[in-house]
Amino acid sequence: MRSYEEIVSIVSDTLVRAGSVFSEDKKEAYRRAIDKETNEKTKWVMETILENAEAAEKNRSPLCDDTGIPHVVLDIGDEAVVTGRFLDAVKTGIAEGLKALPGRPMGIMGNDLQRIDQSGGLNPESDGVEPAPFLIRRVTGSGVRIHVLMFGGGPAIRGLTYRVFHKHSVETVVEEIANRAKEGVAQLGCSPCTLAVGIGRSHYEAASLMLEAQVDGRYDVQSELEKEITKRVNEADIGALGLHGDTSVLATFLKVGPQRASGVRIVCIRPACCFEPRKASAVLSDGTEDI
Amino acid sequence: MDITTPITEEQAAALQAGDTVTLSGYILCGRDAVLPKLQKMIDDGTVSSLGIDLAGQVIFHTAVSPAGVGPTSSNKLEIESSMIPLSKAGVKMHLGKGMLKKETIEGLAELNALYAVIPPVTALLGEKTSEIRLLAFPELGMEALHLIRVDRYPAIIGAAHGRSIYE
Repeated sequence: MRSYEEIVSIVSDTLVRAGSVFSEDKKEAYRRAIDKETNEKTKWVMETILENAEAAEKNRSPLCDDTGIPHVVLDIGDEAVVTGRFLDAVKTGIAEGLKALPGRPMGIMGNDLQRIDQSGGLNPESDGVEPAPFLIRRVTGSGVRIHVLMFGGGPAIRGLTYRVFHKHSVETVVEEIANRAKEGVAQLGCSPCTLAVGIGRSHYEAASLMLEAQVDGRYDVQSELEKEITKRVNEADIGALGLHGDTSVLATFLKVGPQRASGVRIVCIRPACCFEPRKASAVLSDGTEDI
Repeated sequence: MDITTPITEEQAAALQAGDTVTLSGYILCGRDAVLPKLQKMIDDGTVSSLGIDLAGQVIFHTAVSPAGVGPTSSNKLEIESSMIPLSKAGVKMHLGKGMLKKETIEGLAELNALYAVIPPVTALLGEKTSEIRLLAFPELGMEALHLIRVDRYPAIIGAAHGRSIYE
């Protein structure tokens, strides 16, 4: 296992990459969308977004001024030993990463009531933003891998976790996801989106699956179901920033979890904005090449 | 079209929804927390204490922080509801993102004021921002009222004279 300081350093660097670097498959997805786009304004917006990504990567500076709330997923292998001190190192690394990016100082101070109505004031430091609770997954292999995702506020406003009466039909669920997504994407203002979708048995499970979908999703590997949802939302002519066009959604990242014997599925949809998923990954423990 | 602030009545009248523009000069920055306070200063007759003239001004709906600037959704309650009162006080352009209500678009038209959409490209905007000055309400941190100097910010006119690109 690496030292405490090494883990802090790796996690910090991972957060900075998550907040400032587009993955290669995302860049390629934008290039494909720009080539196919027939609306000049949406084309211009997507070209500007790619230009922004190049500037952010070059400067290691934020892609967006809403640098987001850190969300951490840990993949734990067979031989991994995860201690409280290890989790402390991860949390310290997140704080260091927020200072380095720099993250937007937007943590609210105060007691429960003050944090609700924002009367306790803003923490002036970038690392005053607490990460969300960590999600831990059991994986094959021997080590530990971290995924850091930065969640902006716009998609949180437009996201929805709600039940669907499936009527024993995949089509019913797909249609409902597409309809809800169209509404969310149209109101977001920061399209083209990547739709992150989790289908589970509870709100907690569906939201966790939505997070996992962003970790595992790839723009160059799309299932038939994902392609179908993307196609239906793109038919809505929302376009980049809502300016109309063929590209409202670049891709859909969908994760279906275990389901219960019931007429209901719980569906979590996050219309991840034009920069999201802002994610980066790193190996945290030794001997993990097979993860 | 290249626009330098302050925006004149003639410039505002000439712009149409869908026009692509660049914006240069000094502009105000404020969002949810501070715009109602700015509105109250106008109502109370104390806005002149800020030392700026609102005539022809641009208000960019953004936080200002070490992370940079970038538009927040202009259709958030406190932001959209500020647009017409601030236009009555002279503001000529509201810069942000997202679809506005029909009544807001019509209200802006009556005042010859504009709504412009700016892509959320913080890294690029950082290269085009040269001065940042805190004007008022420092207790709001990144949501305080700021004045910044910008050089050729890219934008599209989102609503002008009762027409909108979201139609």
